[in-house]
Amino acid sequence: MSTALVKITRTETYRTVSDALWQNNPISKQVLGICSSLAVTVQMNTAIVMALALTAVVACSNLIISLMRKMIPRNIRIIVEVAVIATLVIIADEVLKAFMYNISKQLSVFVGLIITNCIVMGRAETFAMSNPPLKSFVDGMANGIGYGSILVGVSFFRELLGSGKILGFPVVPQALYDMGYMDMGLMLLAPGAFIVIGLFVWLEHAILNR
Amino acid sequence: MSDGVKTILFATGLCLVCSLLLTMAATGLKAFQRENALVDRQKNILQAVGAVESGRSYPADAIKALYQSSIQCISIDDEGQVLSAKAAPKKVLPLYLYRADGQVKAYIIPVDSRGLWGRIYGYLALDTDGSTITGFSVYQHSETPGLGGEIENQWFQRNFVGKQIIDAEGNFVSIKIAKGAVEDAVRQDLKPNYVDGISGATMTGKFLSQGLEDILQTYEPVSVHFRNQGMLKLPENALVCQPPS
Repeated sequence: MSTALVKITRTETYRTVSDALWQNNPISKQVLGICSSLAVTVQMNTAIVMALALTAVVACSNLIISLMRKMIPRNIRIIVEVAVIATLVIIADEVLKAFMYNISKQLSVFVGLIITNCIVMGRAETFAMSNPPLKSFVDGMANGIGYGSILVGVSFFRELLGSGKILGFPVVPQALYDMGYMDMGLMLLAPGAFIVIGLFVWLEHAILNR
Repeated sequence: MSDGVKTILFATGLCLVCSLLLTMAATGLKAFQRENALVDRQKNILQAVGAVESGRSYPADAIKALYQSSIQCISIDDEGQVLSAKAAPKKVLPLYLYRADGQVKAYIIPVDSRGLWGRIYGYLALDTDGSTITGFSVYQHSETPGLGGEIENQWFQRNFVGKQIIDAEGNFVSIKIAKGAVEDAVRQDLKPNYVDGISGATMTGKFLSQGLEDILQTYEPVSVHFRNQGMLKLPENALVCQPPS
């Protein structure tokens, strides 16, 4: 049992994922992609859909760019990266509009803004341009999950404290409201997200430094 | 082959592949998206009269069934006369009627207003007294999320409920969006004609106020009819309205 665990923890995939989730998390460690993590974390379901959309885009863009990395002319590589990412983002947006219309309306421009998310561009430029396809794909997935983990974590607290719900289901009992409990309006606004993300960053640094 | 030519060829190839993929995604998914947009519009009409709650999700079939059973869309001309199918009018305006328990409870005017960044589309529902607003909803806009985009939120739309489009003497004054809260920004006697504005979205409010006034002005003959004579007379074969595409 323990040898199997050691074997798993020694694989490169494990290290890539744990690195992106923890030691080198794109949001809490590199402080990238803050804009969207403020905007879409009022409710958990928008946060989850956003996390899935970004993971799909960053994994696919890493894979495609890595496949083409030997053919891409150096002088237009940034343009090529942007073109690939933009195409994937628009496809993701169209799919959301067709099959998850309500959530796509709530996400509004933020799906489109994945194009400008530094995480996607950053992974394409620093990792996919110099690594083989499979490794790049895993790296993209890992960074998407790292981004998503913070998004879902932040939205959990914002939805719970801000509207007394989790995934749209009321969890704060009516009796508590009758006793005078009130939802925290601050959590529904962007400053609430700043505070929660700040607490996440603090928590992570405190644990890592120990 | 020189590097320059290679670069151009690569860029051209990439553009071709990308545009092909995008065309495929756009055309392949269009049918689904159109259906979603249609149900969303129907939901917004029902929302304007308070038949469904905003901010809650409903199954598409439930929305369609409720729409079928309670909303009738008729056509009127610019003098407020309901058109029959035989008439060949020049200018046709769509008007929705909301029925509950066999009674017409409200009429709904489609809103198409200028916004700061693009058109704002929605619905404004008025009570059969011809002057009290029963609800307002927005289904499409391009305003900035968090600023002008707040027009699609419940707190803003709820302000319209119960407001008047006429003053105390019964003259048409439309409904306007205040700069700030109505409580502080508006004279006592004008309060029924104003809703709370959105901070950071003065221009959106200004354009939407103007748009609502123009539209209410256009539909004023219908409202006058409701104010003075009550329900419109529906001909046997009322001309079904053309829903916007």
